[in-house]
Amino acid sequence: MKKLQAEIIREYGPFDNAPRVNGVTFDGQHVWFASGEKLHALNPESGEQVRTIDVASHAGTAFDGRYLYQIAEDQIHKVDPETGKILSTIPAPGHGGDSGLAWSEGSLWVGQHRGRKIYEIDPETGAIRRTIESNRIVTGVTWVDGELWHGTWEGEESDVRRVDPVTGDVLERLEMPEGTGVSGLESDGKDRFYAGGGGSGKLRVIRRPR
Amino acid sequence: MDSLIVAAAQALAAGDVLGALKRVALRDDAPALALRGIAMAQLGDLARAKTLLKSAARAFGPREAVARARCVVAEAEIALVSRDLGWPEKALETARAALEKHGDRINAAHARNLQIRRLLLIGHLDEAERLLARLDPSPLPPAVRASHELAVAGIAIRRLRIEPARAALTRAAEAAQKAGIPALIVEVQDAARLLDEPAARLVAKEGERPLSLDEVEALLASDAFVVDACRNVVRRAGDIISLVSRPVLFALARVLAEAAPADAPRALLLSRAFGARHADESHRARLRVEVGRLRAALEPLAEISATAEGFVLTPRLPGDAVVLAPPVEVEHASVLALLSDGEAWSSSALSIALSTSPRTVQRALDALATAGMVQSVGNGRACRWMMPPVVGFPTTLLLPGPLPSD
Repeated sequence: MKKLQAEIIREYGPFDNAPRVNGVTFDGQHVWFASGEKLHALNPESGEQVRTIDVASHAGTAFDGRYLYQIAEDQIHKVDPETGKILSTIPAPGHGGDSGLAWSEGSLWVGQHRGRKIYEIDPETGAIRRTIESNRIVTGVTWVDGELWHGTWEGEESDVRRVDPVTGDVLERLEMPEGTGVSGLESDGKDRFYAGGGGSGKLRVIRRPR
Repeated sequence: MDSLIVAAAQALAAGDVLGALKRVALRDDAPALALRGIAMAQLGDLARAKTLLKSAARAFGPREAVARARCVVAEAEIALVSRDLGWPEKALETARAALEKHGDRINAAHARNLQIRRLLLIGHLDEAERLLARLDPSPLPPAVRASHELAVAGIAIRRLRIEPARAALTRAAEAAQKAGIPALIVEVQDAARLLDEPAARLVAKEGERPLSLDEVEALLASDAFVVDACRNVVRRAGDIISLVSRPVLFALARVLAEAAPADAPRALLLSRAFGARHADESHRARLRVEVGRLRAALEPLAEISATAEGFVLTPRLPGDAVVLAPPVEVEHASVLALLSDGEAWSSSALSIALSTSPRTVQRALDALATAGMVQSVGNGRACRWMMPPVVGFPTTLLLPGPLPSD
């Protein structure tokens, strides 16, 4: 297993209209983050918010190329980013103990916080397709180039780690600096991760190692 | 945090306690237990809240030191509110240090406030002031700031520095308004009202009148020779002679001061100091001995001479002799002073706050209960004492603590 210090290359926030960052996703242009009662779209170049959608947003956020998925209480809402309307709702696999959401290969991947698991579920029905065990609290999930990464944040320790999607073995770890945690994780498809900072209200950019 | 915990915490922060409980009611993981504990505390079920927070602190993992410390602080707050003064203060200090170490300055400051308020309740003003001096309130959010200013005011009031107390209460009121927490706003208003209520009675040769705390402060700073029946001391300006452990001498001093500049008749001195209804030769002999002792004790401040009828007290320096008496004179007034905060006290907490033996406190409580001035709920260890509602016993001068201007 490779172990590195996470390299934080940029920080956004805290934002006046967002008490926390609970989940993060990227639509190819804007970074979306969940603050509790809203979804916020941010221009990653300027750091300015371009719009917000009023929708309950208590944990992970994902984007499937067209729609946003947002965990609220014990459900996952499918949200149209154009209109802000909730199009459909499925039960969250962790019954509200969910934290972290990603979309990849026709599935939603949901982190279960204290359950220390990642579920692959059917985005239409919520049916569980696969369960991956982690040995840490899961606080964010993302896929990039066939790699499964997840964030952990247990008390004072937090990292971003690549795991084997079959065995759950940890392959690589980026340790977060003391006092910074990860809540919500998303890759930009290239060399960056966007990571939510929970109650700090910050959104951080972490360099993805090569 | 996970989804439902975030949703519940959000509801709790917005004052929707039942909404928060609904979301975590069936969960027994550590954050859910902690949230349920805080919600229960806000609903007033302190016993249940205490149990929940205790289990939450146990359930957090070894890496979650901050979360565990926050539970300990919440538990300490509940202990303080329920006047459980025997609660381990060491645990609170350990939690406070952990929070400070991990950069949670707000909760660390909150823990510090709780320590200060506990010291205030048990009358350790010097220590409370020392801790207060180490706390910089400027970066604190309004709610914590308000409780910090309440502690500042509490110390100033007990030290009879009324102007600084008023200033602190004004700052507390502003902070409480900003925080928008109704219970806190009411707490500050109650504390401010205390400043305007009569705190004592002045008994002088012209008669009696109620005194506010400002007037008490002015009186104690003046040239008057004051027999202070709130603290059982005799004082003039900064000079203080304590008669706390000598009740007979204090009773004599009081009768002499009430009569001054005239003399106090022997019969009155005998009945007030010894409860003697008629004076025989043995009583007269005892009175002579006790007056001799009082004369020696008060030597620096006043002179006591025999007259045909009795004895007369003359202050050595210019200034009247007056008596500062509690607004309502009852036995065990110091116990009532503590109970008048409206909280339910255990007899062991009263004994800690008054630094007297549990037996003495129990006797006082039994006497007050017989007189219908206090009531108890619960049995055995769960027994709590409180005042019947709406008594309005002004207390400040009777609260424990070192003497004013010490």
